[in-house]
Amino acid sequence: MFTRSDDKITTSQAVVFLTDSILGAGILTMPRDITEKVKTPDAWLSVLLGGVVILLVVWVMTKLSQQFPGKTIFEYARSIVGKIPGSMMSLLMVIYFLVIAGFEIRILAEVNIFYLLEGTPVWAVIIPFIWTGAYLASGGINCIARLFQIIFPISIFILLLSFLLSMRLFEIDHLRPFLGDGLPPVLNGLKSSILIYTGFEIVMVLVGHMQHPEKAVKTMLLGAGIPIILYVFATMIVVGGMSISAVLRSTWPTLDLLRSFEITGLFFERFEFPFLVIWMMQMFCNFCSQFFVTSLGLSKTFGIKFPIVLFALMPILFLAALIPRTMNDLFTLGGAIGYMSVFLFVLVTVPLCLIYLIRKKGLRKHA
Amino acid sequence: MGCLAAGGLSGPDKKTFIAKQQVQVICREQRQPGCFCSLFYCCTMKQHPAMLIEWRGSGEIRENNSRRGMVHVWWSNIVSYIPDWPVFVQAGATLLIPVVLYFTHRWFRSVVTNGGGSSEKLTAATEESDSLLTGDYDADLDSIKQAIGSNDDLHFREYRVAELGIRAALIYIDGMQEDQLIDTQVMQVLMGKGDFVPEVELESSLPPADRLAAYFRQRILPVVEMEEVQGTQCLHEMVLTGYTALLVEGMPSAILVGKPRGKTRSITEPTSEALLRGPRLGFTEALSENTSMLRRQGRTELMEIKKYTVGNTLKRDLAVVYMKSIVNPDLLQEVEKRVAKIDLDFIAESGYVEQLIEDDILSPFQQAQNTERPDRVINALMAGRVALLLDGTPFALIVPVTFSMLLQSPEDYYERWMAGSLLRLLRFFAAFMSLMIPSLYISFISFHPGLIPTELAITIIETRERVPFPSLIEILVLEVSIEILREAGVRLPKPIGSAMGIVGGLIIGEAAVQAGIVSPFLVIVVSVTAIASFSIPMYSAGITLRMLRFVGMFFAAALGILGTILFFLLICSHLTKLKSFGVPYITPVSPIRLHDWKDLFVRAPLTLMKLRPEMMKTERKRRKA
Repeated sequence: MFTRSDDKITTSQAVVFLTDSILGAGILTMPRDITEKVKTPDAWLSVLLGGVVILLVVWVMTKLSQQFPGKTIFEYARSIVGKIPGSMMSLLMVIYFLVIAGFEIRILAEVNIFYLLEGTPVWAVIIPFIWTGAYLASGGINCIARLFQIIFPISIFILLLSFLLSMRLFEIDHLRPFLGDGLPPVLNGLKSSILIYTGFEIVMVLVGHMQHPEKAVKTMLLGAGIPIILYVFATMIVVGGMSISAVLRSTWPTLDLLRSFEITGLFFERFEFPFLVIWMMQMFCNFCSQFFVTSLGLSKTFGIKFPIVLFALMPILFLAALIPRTMNDLFTLGGAIGYMSVFLFVLVTVPLCLIYLIRKKGLRKHA
Repeated sequence: MGCLAAGGLSGPDKKTFIAKQQVQVICREQRQPGCFCSLFYCCTMKQHPAMLIEWRGSGEIRENNSRRGMVHVWWSNIVSYIPDWPVFVQAGATLLIPVVLYFTHRWFRSVVTNGGGSSEKLTAATEESDSLLTGDYDADLDSIKQAIGSNDDLHFREYRVAELGIRAALIYIDGMQEDQLIDTQVMQVLMGKGDFVPEVELESSLPPADRLAAYFRQRILPVVEMEEVQGTQCLHEMVLTGYTALLVEGMPSAILVGKPRGKTRSITEPTSEALLRGPRLGFTEALSENTSMLRRQGRTELMEIKKYTVGNTLKRDLAVVYMKSIVNPDLLQEVEKRVAKIDLDFIAESGYVEQLIEDDILSPFQQAQNTERPDRVINALMAGRVALLLDGTPFALIVPVTFSMLLQSPEDYYERWMAGSLLRLLRFFAAFMSLMIPSLYISFISFHPGLIPTELAITIIETRERVPFPSLIEILVLEVSIEILREAGVRLPKPIGSAMGIVGGLIIGEAAVQAGIVSPFLVIVVSVTAIASFSIPMYSAGITLRMLRFVGMFFAAALGILGTILFFLLICSHLTKLKSFGVPYITPVSPIRLHDWKDLFVRAPLTLMKLRPEMMKTERKRRKA
């Protein structure tokens, strides 16, 4: 077939899609969030352990989704637990994604106003991004995936480059002692380190849109693995470059690390600017994927046409983004989203898996 | 707020931060517009005053917040989170503006796409009147005279065919017949002055009416190019376009004996796509010459040329050229379907065809590539694309087109691969510059002077001291004059053109700086942009970038670097949606096809390019035997 009319994404697109859905504003604040809880230089270990937990969850979700090829959670939840409970679960997912989308775009606006556009009203930053996101999302998952494929290599390149440049500040002593207080602080940080990976629930939508769902497990694990590795590196480099006490004092530790050294001989003296610019695109990608899944969920759950949902969601997203009044509210919301993610796992994924397994066994016995 | 934030920093950070503040203060003192959005700076900041102060909120406040969450303050706490009415108004605007835009866009698109539907009845009506020739010599001649006889340049030459004893007439347009051919091969033969001897006896041997044409063709007329026409309408058209028609008594058809003799220009090197290395060969206005030029590119049985007639009132030939067993049959079918749908009274140039068959009329990007170079066409054909050649224009169309094609030149392949690759990279960079540099200039100068090296920022600001305008107005003044200069230069004769370039570019630029209308740094910026846009090999792609550059400038003027990013994201979003004949517009990049990357930013050595482009989904994939 020369022209593809089905809205399916290729395997590589699926990897990038999942990575972009996880990798967002987290990298800016994550080192501080984790270090606050761990209080030892072993924060990166928490991030790594949290990542392993996430990989397990992703594996479960992928396996579940693979039983229903071509279907997203919004459709198969109904066929597993019935129409009304299934719709309730879908609605929970939708609300969750909506909150993440609002959070993501608000963070984008805040970082922007703080570093680049002092004195600009929040709405002037948020509204154009919502419109652009809607324009992109109206093209369907394929267009979004294609945009991600353009942005992803650029943002990863810049991220790695900033890591590399930050290495000059890196002191291994900042990361010592390794496991000085034993494992308890690491496990303590595990709670909040799981939270930084929010957005991975998109797996349950992505698998249904894959061209080759049989490759889903490998694809999804890879897609979740990339952000985990990047997050571990980010934590190591930020903590190693700034020491714990400095990390705890700063709002955006990653950016503060980047602005604390100067590169001579380049057009930009400080690397925080190109990083911020590129990372804004990455955050936009993250926002778009949540936005798309929210609208997809709503349209599938209630049977409304996709463009109508897209339009209706724009003001709602805007309000959702403006509800937190202060930065502290915003960070509290960030934490809350993490807990929502856990709740969602307990309330949606686990019951769905169990009920599916029970039903399948029941069917086998009857047959 | 700056001081507050700087307080939290230490050492070198503090130094740079304060430097940044100073630069911005200088900016403001010079009546720079801090940013356009400060005009709208009304309600939102008032609502979030705490946001700025609690920026570096400590843990204590957060704990306080959570402790306060007791039951009796719970409700009031929630209420306090409900935003004020201006936010709801803004939310309404968030919904309303895209809805209005969406419906305007839909309405406009429906108007644009359905605009051509009304002329269908007309074509049906003209087709009905096509009657056949009867075979009655007098009646046929009369009907022809009635229909087209009012043309004063139409000549009828009546005579008797000596040997057969029947009447005949030559019908031709003055100045378009091939005199010599008609005289020697037709008149002489038929009027019996040649050595023509009928094989059989007269009268009795005269074949019946239906076989008369075949008899003439096979036995009597020693002419290669000959065609039989039965419809009167068709005959009229052919005669009026210069064919010489032979009408014979008792024959229910006319024979076209001579082709039109029109003047065509000689083959020259295309001026719009000059190359240093490569064939100095360009298409001309005659379709037959163009197709033959393609045939002469190499011996193959794969190339197929199919002709369509386009234009309802003024008909023209349109050739669809492709490589059989390389091109994807679905693509070919799609192209043929769209060509068949063309419905307009006259197709003046291949640009008409391009606009009538493209996927998205409202896209700023072209979806068919036009070229004057046969080598470019043949390379595209070998990659599995389809070419459309219209009679009467030297510009051939290549479909489908992808974004990277617009920045490639045939020379990339003729030069050795390293040079080709580097030049190609340079062109990509130039395209990016020509699109983005003015927006970047505006965002750096007006919004973020602290982000460029401090010395440079101070130099630029010093040079801008005498300029009374905000950077947007400043850059618009110069960009618009450059565009006018370019537009004027295209049509001027060469000697005057270069003189105008000197006056326009050098003198006005210099004077504008001295008069204090623009800053010298801006002159550099605008000139580099202009030169960068000259390096784009396709003229029409250059226009697209020129157009978008202005859009980008307005984005940057509104939101600084954020606006620039937004603009970039919008273009990317649009490009990911755009398709040309079903092929995604930016395909080797996304959807990613790593094989095709060999021929994207770099041009890999020819030995490595073993496969045809993956994106074209060709039938025969390998290029090597």
